Amino acid sequence: MNLKTFAGGLHPPDSKHYSANKPIERCPLPDELVIPPAQHIGAPAEICINVGDQVKKGQVIATAKGFVSVPVHASTSGMVVAIEPRLHPMGKPLPAVVIKPDGKDQWEDSLQQHDPDQLNADELKKLICAAGIVGMGGATFPAHVKLSPPEGKKIDTLILNGVECEPFLTADHRMMLEESERIIDGINILRKILGLETAIIGIEVNKPDAIEKLTRDCAPHGIQVQPLKVQYPQGAEKQLIDACTGRQVPTGGLPMDCGVVVQNVGTCAAISDTIRLGRPLVERVATVTGPGIREPKNLLIAIGTSLQHMLDQCGGLDGEPAKIIMGGPMMGQTQLSLQVPAIRGTSGLLIFREQDLPRKNFGPCIRCGRCVSVCPIHLQPTTIAAYARLDMIDEAENNNALDCIECGCCTYICPATLPLVQSIRHIKGSILAKRRKI
Amino acid sequence: MFAAILSLGGIGLVAATALGVAAKKFAVEIDPRELAILEVLPGANCGACGYPGCSGYAKGVAEGKALPTACSPGGAEVIEAIASVLGIEAVTFEPQVAVVACQGDNQKAKVKYRYLGLTDCNAAQKLADGPKTCPSGCLGLGTCERTCPFDAIEMTSENLAVINRDKCTGCEKCVAVCPRQVIRMTPRKVTTHVLCNSHDKGALIRGYCQIGCIGCHICNKTVPGAFVIENFLAHTNYEKLDELEDIELAVTKCPTKCIRDFSSGYPAGSSFVPTRNDAA
Amino acid sequence: MVELLLILVSAVFVNNFVLARFLGICPFLGVSKKVETALGMGMAVIFVMTVASVVTWFIQYLILIPFSIEYLQTIAFILVIASLVQLVEMVVQKTSPVLYQSLGIFLPLITTNCAVLGVAVLNIQKNYSFIESVVFALGAGLGFTLAMVLFAGLRERIDLSPVPKSFRGTAIALVTAGLLSLAFMGFAGLVKG
Repeated sequence: MNLKTFAGGLHPPDSKHYSANKPIERCPLPDELVIPPAQHIGAPAEICINVGDQVKKGQVIATAKGFVSVPVHASTSGMVVAIEPRLHPMGKPLPAVVIKPDGKDQWEDSLQQHDPDQLNADELKKLICAAGIVGMGGATFPAHVKLSPPEGKKIDTLILNGVECEPFLTADHRMMLEESERIIDGINILRKILGLETAIIGIEVNKPDAIEKLTRDCAPHGIQVQPLKVQYPQGAEKQLIDACTGRQVPTGGLPMDCGVVVQNVGTCAAISDTIRLGRPLVERVATVTGPGIREPKNLLIAIGTSLQHMLDQCGGLDGEPAKIIMGGPMMGQTQLSLQVPAIRGTSGLLIFREQDLPRKNFGPCIRCGRCVSVCPIHLQPTTIAAYARLDMIDEAENNNALDCIECGCCTYICPATLPLVQSIRHIKGSILAKRRKI
Repeated sequence: MFAAILSLGGIGLVAATALGVAAKKFAVEIDPRELAILEVLPGANCGACGYPGCSGYAKGVAEGKALPTACSPGGAEVIEAIASVLGIEAVTFEPQVAVVACQGDNQKAKVKYRYLGLTDCNAAQKLADGPKTCPSGCLGLGTCERTCPFDAIEMTSENLAVINRDKCTGCEKCVAVCPRQVIRMTPRKVTTHVLCNSHDKGALIRGYCQIGCIGCHICNKTVPGAFVIENFLAHTNYEKLDELEDIELAVTKCPTKCIRDFSSGYPAGSSFVPTRNDAA
Repeated sequence: MVELLLILVSAVFVNNFVLARFLGICPFLGVSKKVETALGMGMAVIFVMTVASVVTWFIQYLILIPFSIEYLQTIAFILVIASLVQLVEMVVQKTSPVLYQSLGIFLPLITTNCAVLGVAVLNIQKNYSFIESVVFALGAGLGFTLAMVLFAGLRERIDLSPVPKSFRGTAIALVTAGLLSLAFMGFAGLVKG
């Protein structure tokens, strides 16, 4: 097999066996849904309803503010019981709309079905924006922004991210197995919007069943399936582009700078729903897994479902939880509480117990250079982290700290367990703050 | 003998003449006041004045760009000296000292999550607003300690920043780096301070800190007018510096012991005695 | 030609003024915290050494030897070098404030630098011709700059490392200087002289 990959990176134990064979299951609605308007990269949406309003599934409850922003929709029908600050996955209380479901789960009447062949690219983009579609891999970057390259940038390749390189997560894997028709339909819509033919789905070889199924289903549509060597962080845009096409995104640039648009396979399925069925993004597939969970599952959840409720569907906890992670173990966010709602970027919920976590105090850097060898951007994490520790902002910037994608490879591999990514992220913040000042 | 005297003397004469001519010809004007001011500055190059170092500040003052009172580390003495160099009247200056308005160390304040990361308060603050439940207390990772140019901040063994009043010069560097604004500048002659920074209501504070101000007004009832209570948080009434008599009485009356007397350096009876002097 | 090249290589590497002859240690430790300033200092030293060796060569062969007062060599050289450096400093300060900002602050440091005097004295001891003296001075300056920049680079790296408290500052700098000197000892015997 022709296996491609990128330079750098590593291969942590993928631990996908917990949930890889569990079909997607619909999670019943909880007693209340907490929907924060800040669910995507860019300006948070603005709440446009009031306490006491009756809402229907798919109704806009917060409108987009600015170009890099999308509206937020009610995930079910019911009554708005509160608009108040609730604990957000970011770790602090942020405003949120609390909806009490009425159990009917009724769709908004004004939602219309469309035939993508009847619409032009701009109309399709508008529908995608209005449906609140964001990158479902976890980054939650508004999809319509990626599909609107500025004048003069020629896009010739669409890459679909079916890599799911984060250990534990299997949501995309199951989507590819069970929802391949929707995914392929979404890809065709994207090809129409971007006006291009070449579409490549990148899948790692640890998902042979998905590769086989998609290769079979994609053949009539002229979509290429590219098996990739298992390597983290292959799902990061720039690494995936390198792996699939051999092109390099320039420093500080975007994938469009080398003629590529990358979308997640989950996003494609959501786009298909949006156009064909008129349904905005109100639900997603999330993997509930980890050694601390009795029955790991892949759940189809309504946005705003609390982590506790998701957990209850999976047989509950097996022991005392010590670490709750939303997303994958490498780049996901540690959560303070199980009361946090799942949002559009919640690709998984991982629970670890104390005995599952390696706990070591960090020691001094022994200059082994492993972080340098695994860095997919080819930076020197240990040097930048040392500058970060001493707040040497200019030196860190000269070492290209801003190019770091925060994939976590360096921290994972560090034998001294130094908090490298955190240090680099910290100094990145300082660099950007300094730039704003000047 | 003569040859030696003559030739060396000749070389010396030539060199001296050359230097003398050059000194005249290539003379660069330097304001003598600049040198005089530099002379009286403390020379710590701390940057409290907003200039990169003492020489930059001296130049600024001499050129009239900088205020002669901007050197807070030097205090009244230096300001007077600068004023006399400039030939102006010295402005009365109330010496300031920094106070960490928090007593919530690892023992007394509740921890929200276990923080395993970069030892830097600003980095920790970015993660879910810091590892302590209190939204405004000292995080105890020692960023101020490392920033202080005068070694005036020490961390206790239970990770609380404590300011050594003898060493503190009031340069405000620590105030600038603290992500939670828990360090305040106070007039040096006031020795009684409320050591809490949280505006939360009393019940909430009791939930996460044994020693926070709950806004009960008892201090102000004991010594009327000596304290100001805003949003459930008291602070000494710094505007009435001369009317703060008997303020010490409030120290014993405070139910949560968050008012402390600093007149003898570190207040007795608290966890304030720094024990980590030799920390790396 | 080969002779001149040998003198140059010998002055830069084999008999490096700082690391093999241990001359000019004061600025070597003093202004080696940053590569940039080390480079500036190095440039200043190259300039002063070359000019000083030219002037002292003439003093030696036009004044001291004809009047047979070679025993006054040291004092005469110090006199000349010191006033020369002062002169250069004044000229630079007046004519090019930018150059003075980056280089001028090092000039007073060089005034009585033993490395500069060392070059002048060695030129005479080794009976170098005028051209040889200039090349030797240039090589000595280059060697000094090389040592400074290498050492400053090392110190910048050391700043990033968790050095035990009792070793911080000058202590670890001296240890490092010793190791660097040991490394340069590896060139010994490459060129005679």
